[in-house]
Amino acid sequence: MTVIVCSDDDMGIFFNKRRQSRDSAVTKRIVEITRGSILWLSSYSSQLFANERADNIIADDDFLSKAQNDDFCFVEGEDVSDHESKITKIVLFKWNRTYPHDMILNIDFNNFTLVQRCDFKGTSHKMITEEVWCR
Amino acid sequence: MRVKRMLSAVLTVLIATIIGGCELTYTVTDSSPTSFSIDNIAPFDEAAYITVNDNQPFFTEKEYTSTAYESYGELDSLGRCTAATACIGTELMPTEDRTSIGSVEPSGWHSIKYDCVDGKYLYNRCHLIGYQLSGENTNEKNLITGTRFLNTKGMLPFENMVADYVNETDNHVMYRVTPIFEESNLLASGVLIEAISVEDSGEGICFNVYCYNIQPGIEINYLDGTSWEEGVSDNISDDNAGYIMNTKTKKFHLPDCNHAKKISEENREEFIGDREILLADGYVPCGGCNP
Repeated sequence: MTVIVCSDDDMGIFFNKRRQSRDSAVTKRIVEITRGSILWLSSYSSQLFANERADNIIADDDFLSKAQNDDFCFVEGEDVSDHESKITKIVLFKWNRTYPHDMILNIDFNNFTLVQRCDFKGTSHKMITEEVWCR
Repeated sequence: MRVKRMLSAVLTVLIATIIGGCELTYTVTDSSPTSFSIDNIAPFDEAAYITVNDNQPFFTEKEYTSTAYESYGELDSLGRCTAATACIGTELMPTEDRTSIGSVEPSGWHSIKYDCVDGKYLYNRCHLIGYQLSGENTNEKNLITGTRFLNTKGMLPFENMVADYVNETDNHVMYRVTPIFEESNLLASGVLIEAISVEDSGEGICFNVYCYNIQPGIEINYLDGTSWEEGVSDNISDDNAGYIMNTKTKKFHLPDCNHAKKISEENREEFIGDREILLADGYVPCGGCNP
């Protein structure tokens, strides 16, 4: 499965059970790259996509267990360490800012290779970096 | 030498600051069963901030509003900032780049550099309500002396989080920053930051944190803001600083040099560290004291 995740400069992803940041440009980008595949996410994350036209989204709080090899999983506050062996690809959106965090991205990137990287302007972020890591 | 320091940091507006002997009490217009005491804050240990009251801010429901506003408490009798409160919305946010705030000298202020500090300067003029949130810039009621660490590792991440949320949702966030001064110290020990998003009842933003006004590697005398490198026994004042710089003439002096004593406040900076760094920055040693 492909994990999609956003992080700050310290690899933080969550603070006090809430996302650190959001950007509608990232949401649209996620819809774009997952078109034609299943995009799993939690009921919490589904609110971000409420205004998007995407019938490939499945909201399920146990989505990491249910996702299949070709599926995408949008991870926000979930601990992926128990499912790391299933991860074949990571799409990492870097906010290029610092936020408070009490949860960091728990993936060993030594097991992955950076294959693609690009920057784009967000709606509230000057520059967001999108990285693709493959096992 | 800790004496009771209680901050009933809860409601609408701070109306009085009473300093009696060693006790500092902030009185508020209304009372709340919940209060903040720095005695309950753990000593600094790597993390720039620590959660307070299980991350639940002390705002009461009647304080919530979706009308943007900002309110800055009066300086106390020692010239120190009190609480700043705002309802942050896009209508409050700046539309222009920030201008210089160098004209404001908050309590405990020293312009001093250390090699070991990111950006060299130990102290920044820290906005209580960050400029990116309110557009408030040179307001002396909104600026405290804060370490680089407090500014960039403690306060900025929370400001960033709130700014992004407001920009992306067009919602509002109740936001209050209270500097915590112990006894008659001119330098704050830290700041309490509370925030909660209004339209979604805290679903987007909800935190209550204390950020430490410390700088790793530097010892600070909170009474007056003087400082020295860890491991050096004496504190640094104008009498025993490493060098005194004249930022206008680009000369540097020994602290007891007569020329150094004549430098105007706006051109004077202290520097602790290797003189080679000053030379590399284009500074020239004074011919009189030959530092």
